[in-house]
Amino acid sequence: MSTDDAILRLDRINTQYGAVQVHFDLSLAVPRGSIVCLLGGNASGKSTTMKVILGLVAPRSGRVLLGGEPVTGLPTPKIVRRGVASVPESRRLFGAMTVRENVLMGAYTRGDRGAVREDYERVLDLFPRLRERERQHAGTLSGGEQQMVAMARALMARPRLIVMDEPTMGLSPRHVDAVLDLIATINRQGVSIFMVEQNAAHALSIAHHGYVLQTGRIVLSGGARDLLHDPQIRDAYLGGARAA
Amino acid sequence: MGGLLSGAWIDHTVNGLIVGNIYALLAVGLALIFGVSHLINFAHGSVYMVGAYIGWACFRLLDAPLPVTLLAVAGGCALLGVAIERIGLRPLAGSARIAPLLATIGIGLVLDQLAQLAFTPDPRALPSPLPDWRIQIGGGTIGALDLLIAGVGVGSAALLYGFLRFTKLGWAVRATALDRDAAQQCGVDVNAVNRAVYAIASALGGVSGLLVGMYYNAIDPYMGFQAGLKGIVAQLIGGMGNVPGAIAGSLLLGLTESYGIALFGTSYRNLFAFVVMVLVLALRPNGLFSRARQTPPEPLTGTFVAPSRPVRIPGWLLWALGIAAAALPLAVQNAYVLQTLGNAWLYAVLALSLTLVAGTVGQISLGHAGLLAIGGYASALLALDAKLPVALAVPAAGVVTAVLGTLLVSPAFRLRGHYVSVATLGIGEIVALVILNWESVTRGPIGVVGIPPLSAFGTPLLSAPWVYWIPLAAVALVAQVQARLLGSHLGRTLRAIREDEVAARAYGVGLDRYKGLAFGVAGFAAGIAGALMAHVYSYINHETFHAPISVLALTMVILGGLGNVAGAILGAVALVGLPELFRAAAEYRMLIYGVTLLLLIRFRPQGLLGTV
Ligand SMILES: Nc1ncnc2c1ncn2[C@@H]1O[C@H](COP(=O)(O)OP(=O)(O)O)[C@@H](O)[C@H]1O
Ligand SMILES: [Mg+2]
Repeated sequence: MSTDDAILRLDRINTQYGAVQVHFDLSLAVPRGSIVCLLGGNASGKSTTMKVILGLVAPRSGRVLLGGEPVTGLPTPKIVRRGVASVPESRRLFGAMTVRENVLMGAYTRGDRGAVREDYERVLDLFPRLRERERQHAGTLSGGEQQMVAMARALMARPRLIVMDEPTMGLSPRHVDAVLDLIATINRQGVSIFMVEQNAAHALSIAHHGYVLQTGRIVLSGGARDLLHDPQIRDAYLGGARAA
Repeated sequence: MGGLLSGAWIDHTVNGLIVGNIYALLAVGLALIFGVSHLINFAHGSVYMVGAYIGWACFRLLDAPLPVTLLAVAGGCALLGVAIERIGLRPLAGSARIAPLLATIGIGLVLDQLAQLAFTPDPRALPSPLPDWRIQIGGGTIGALDLLIAGVGVGSAALLYGFLRFTKLGWAVRATALDRDAAQQCGVDVNAVNRAVYAIASALGGVSGLLVGMYYNAIDPYMGFQAGLKGIVAQLIGGMGNVPGAIAGSLLLGLTESYGIALFGTSYRNLFAFVVMVLVLALRPNGLFSRARQTPPEPLTGTFVAPSRPVRIPGWLLWALGIAAAALPLAVQNAYVLQTLGNAWLYAVLALSLTLVAGTVGQISLGHAGLLAIGGYASALLALDAKLPVALAVPAAGVVTAVLGTLLVSPAFRLRGHYVSVATLGIGEIVALVILNWESVTRGPIGVVGIPPLSAFGTPLLSAPWVYWIPLAAVALVAQVQARLLGSHLGRTLRAIREDEVAARAYGVGLDRYKGLAFGVAGFAAGIAGALMAHVYSYINHETFHAPISVLALTMVILGGLGNVAGAILGAVALVGLPELFRAAAEYRMLIYGVTLLLLIRFRPQGLLGTV
């Protein structure tokens, strides 16, 4: 099983909040080393997918597999220790802690202090803006800077996989490009990425593979290039007001 | 004025800072706990009490030196804190927010009772082993123990600062307090964080108890109740969950008390704290150091309404039970049994009152003993001093309690969840303290003696059946009114407020008016109960209606099912009637209440008959 070529696999997940079902037999896979995006409109169940992967919400049935090994039902910190880092919806930084503390919190599970210090320098090289803001409280940063802190924090765990919930949401166009570039860069360094997006144009511009989620069901999937040119996608996610 | 620098004022300042230091040791722990779990820990005072007794055991039984004793107290209380978190609170992680708060009340009650059973309720001396020297500064003096307390306070603050700022676990504590989910996504085990926080908080609380015991050279099993409340007040002043704020709030509270005592006298000490608390809650619920007057932090979905379908009791059964209850004195002649059941009916009226405000508008009041006290004193004094016939004094006391109670609680109307409980608890304490201090009217600590018995048309109704029947009639009356109210359109509006205050407000429901109305009706009922108690007991003082009665009333209400009229009556009979009838348990009664409350919260939050 552990020879699974997918770093992450969701296998027929059904999720419910009380009586309301959010996922219906949701299955998808993230091949090692790739960027996979999950597209979907508001309230289609994207964030809940993230929460299921991270063990913050328990599915009613189905399995979450990391590198072929089931992690369903494990507490969140255990899943994180298996190499999954996250960039949550609307960043979720520790507002009253400094940028430095926020970034280093990403390395919470690691014991190798020396290597952590080196990684910290390397990560800050990736986000030079943050170096000037190191001692500032994270809550005082602009949206784009906060997004960078969230990504830096995720990188500090030396993860195998980063899951991101709408990383471009609420950013100015300049910051959107910067963030997308960074995601691609991170991916080239060997980290697999699973990202959830409403903005299909953003996501598909860097992803290798995409899934489309509609009220809890996968209705379409394929290579990013094919999806970009799919008339259905164009109508639903690229044509109208949503296009960037 | 003798000038602020005169010796006496220096002494008062030193004393205020010392007491403030003691409060700070408590409040810092409470703030840490609130930070990571958004919970006001009412068991904290009991941990403080346990700390004092561990210290006593070390000094008296083991002849341990002070440093060893300090370590033993810190270690023992840290273990106790971990146990409280693990056994009492973690199993409730998924339930309504008010559930863990009620659990801490139950745990506190159980610990106090266990201490009382183990060590008797009598105070014990806890002599300080420190040398008895004092140094002169200005016109005042400072002693060795003052320096020890200051040293422990400053030392703990420094250690705590270092822990939070420079250790990995300290970072995890801060991160968890700021965003629990995000902390977990960084790999933080929030259960471990919780455990650490309870250990640290309890260690500090226990040391605080030890130091207080040494300071006053006296400890007793109930010392924790007031102290825990003071810690909560100090924390409220500084802003819930704010650690530096808790320290500042504690010092402010200590100084306020010390100067207040200097100006007004010792018996006012606690009054300052609770008045300050109610003012802060009403005007600045986020603490003095917060910028805006916002609603306090906490997703305050604070009702304890476990979803359930209430048990339907058919009308004929209610009638049959009512008739059987009324006919009981014809079959049972034993006066003791009748008096006990009469007392149970009185508590049933109290429980009906509480279930109205807790079950409909969702205000979990911990100050209902205060309403009883108002009713009891009003009726007793009207009968004794205004020479009103008892039959008029009792309903008049109901009206007085309705008006006064509603006015007193009204500052809490804009609060929700935990804050309501804290505010009402404080208001209950204020009532008791006013009674204690307003000697010209209430006769102060002596209490009111020779209260005339229940009577009608000048004939005293002293015999056991009357002491049974009259409370039963009150139960029937209040239950009727309440059942009508709940079934009406008004009742539905009140419950809408409980379900979602924000939505109710958005629909233009005038919350204050409805809450006022609910408290008015509830105040009338509780006032009648208190009045009847006064005439049945013939003697009351400021301790007759003490705070544990509020907890007992809440336990009855939860046992029966929150908001459930029949449930409140059942709860009262079960908790007041049964233990008395089975005599064996008299000594363990309060312990049984505490354990019952804990078991209910854990295993049957909807109570026996279900919530309405
Ligand atoms: N904690 C929750 N409790 C109940 N319902 C929820 C909760 N979180 C999300 N939902 C509901 O589940 C559906 C999917 O939500 P979500 O996964 O956040 O969607 P998306 O991220 O795609 O906008 C929505 O209808 C939302 O209202
Ligand atoms: Mg979302």
